[in-house]
Amino acid sequence: MKRTTSPARAFLRGIPVTAWMLLLVIGPLAFTFLMSFWSTDGMQITAAWTLKNYALFFTDPLYVSVLAKSILLALAIAVLAILTAYPLAYLVSFRIRRGKQLLFMLSIIPLWVSYLVRIIAWRTILGNKGVINSALLAIGAIREPLTFLLYNRFAIAITLTYICIPFVFIPVYTALEKIPRNILEASSDLGAGELRTFVNVVVPLSLPGLVTGFIFAFIIALGDYIIPIQLGGTQGIMYGNLIWNQFGFAFNWPLGAALGFILFGIAVAVLTATSRFGTTEGGFLNE
Amino acid sequence: MGDEFAIELHGVRKVFDEVVAVRGFDVRIRKGEFFSLLGPSGCGKTTTLRMIAGLEEPTGGEILLEGRDVSHVPAYRRNVHTVFQDYALFPHMNVERNVWFPLKMRGVSLADTRQRIAQVLRIVSMEDFERRLPQQLSGGQRQRVALARSLVDEPAALLLDEPLGALDYKLRVAMQKVLKDIQRKVGITFIYVTHDQTEALTMSDRIAVMKDGRVHQIGTPDEIYNSPATAFVASFIGDMNFLRGRLVSSGPTGCAVDVNGCAVRTARAACLPGGSAAEPGSEVLVCIRTERVQVNPHRATEHAVEGTVKRIVYRGTDYEATCAFAGQELRAVVSSVTWDPAVAVGSPVRVGFNAADLSVFPLSEGSEIIQYASEAV
Repeated sequence: MKRTTSPARAFLRGIPVTAWMLLLVIGPLAFTFLMSFWSTDGMQITAAWTLKNYALFFTDPLYVSVLAKSILLALAIAVLAILTAYPLAYLVSFRIRRGKQLLFMLSIIPLWVSYLVRIIAWRTILGNKGVINSALLAIGAIREPLTFLLYNRFAIAITLTYICIPFVFIPVYTALEKIPRNILEASSDLGAGELRTFVNVVVPLSLPGLVTGFIFAFIIALGDYIIPIQLGGTQGIMYGNLIWNQFGFAFNWPLGAALGFILFGIAVAVLTATSRFGTTEGGFLNE
Repeated sequence: MGDEFAIELHGVRKVFDEVVAVRGFDVRIRKGEFFSLLGPSGCGKTTTLRMIAGLEEPTGGEILLEGRDVSHVPAYRRNVHTVFQDYALFPHMNVERNVWFPLKMRGVSLADTRQRIAQVLRIVSMEDFERRLPQQLSGGQRQRVALARSLVDEPAALLLDEPLGALDYKLRVAMQKVLKDIQRKVGITFIYVTHDQTEALTMSDRIAVMKDGRVHQIGTPDEIYNSPATAFVASFIGDMNFLRGRLVSSGPTGCAVDVNGCAVRTARAACLPGGSAAEPGSEVLVCIRTERVQVNPHRATEHAVEGTVKRIVYRGTDYEATCAFAGQELRAVVSSVTWDPAVAVGSPVRVGFNAADLSVFPLSEGSEIIQYASEAV
């Protein structure tokens, strides 16, 4: 017995998800995309078609250089987040037997705390009278507070890495949990010690989770504008701030939309380039 | 000695969180031997195998591999390989790379060893599948690749953990022959874990029968089948009748048992744990294979008793006739070729058997057999 779905039925079934996508994803995106070709007249947005928003991006070196610096910083943050979250996920997945669930929850619990609260917390850690400086002053290691800790790219990198860790941890942990344990035993049985098992078996099999985590971290870091405002100081302006400024201060929504779409294009390009390796489930070859 | 034996176990024990998985295993396995560990699930056979592989550390005792003590050597430094029940092939490597893996771990490049890999794949008849990924292969094919991967660097022994358990019946029977042929061809020691007695009997040179972490008997298939050392071995292997009786006399040449008033003589001494003498008057179990029980025998048998047929089951190649005998039941399995069609339910028959086919075990030991032979009671 073969059950076939009639084309009419299949069409009806597709309506809710299509409607949802149109209303909540495609619609707003299309509207923003259209807006990126409009102009402003004083404080007023007018539907006068123009390419000058995109032209400005390519002609004014400010935009390209900020974008380039932001991409580099986001790459560094994604790498740092992986270097921090991968060992954690490896330990929780492979080394812990009791309290594994608890450790998993603790690893992602920062997601339950308000984003802003966590940012302010880092300011109190890195600030002139913050935890690190106070401690170092108290033990006499320094005479003056260290100033390189806050209001620069270093602070952005540290805080964004911290923000990204759960987003890397979850897909990597899921991928590691999916590796059948007898495959690791087989590797050991066939002559590979722990390090070589890690390099030859664990890393390749967790690659989908790793790539997914990398993409999450990279895109979160590239688009963020709150952390640069709060902790970045004058040097720490990032591409997200440029977009935010157009909407929040300059009231140049069409330019903001155009800058936003360039960021969107980069995100799509990264996703396309890596979709071969990553899946949201962290599985391998859909098996 | 080290030259003769591939693997030696001396008093090997394993305790998991106060649960004894293996209690004192002693055996010497010769080079090139096909040695099976047979027993129901939870009997400690897999734990024993994993200790030989180095995947578990023994709590006590010694494991010698080609004469060298490897009891506490990690798995990756032991010259033995395991074939896992679900194959455990590396899903991200094709067949060739899977087979290359143990050689790669020894620092041999793929180019230098292509010939060897092709040769091993030929042995397992998988030579045209080098580029395939494991998930593109059937269960039987994965099994062969797992075998090739374990054979490629010529280990001292191959450890097989229920390797055919995941295959369907026909394929399993076919793979039994393939495995045995390969073992003969490469001449490597095989240690084979199974709960399937037929598999163990047909393939092995020797079998260790285990239950609850204890080794009940180590012997050739013939010894295991025809001279079971304990009631458990008798009940676990083959199809066995158990009759309750009382020991009348016992000696080295045989014993006399009273089965509900019917005198039964055996040609063998009663098997007792520790070889102690059985006390006359104690309760015992008399065992006889169902195929050794004859219905209306043509030739005279040492015992011939009157009985009534209670049940007849036709099973294709044979008939199983259950006969009432001395207040108990005795099942006879008779080939369809020699079956007398005149025998019907309720008809009186002569049930015949010989003293040499009987074994006697103390009843206390026999209590653990019941779950495997409930129809005998």
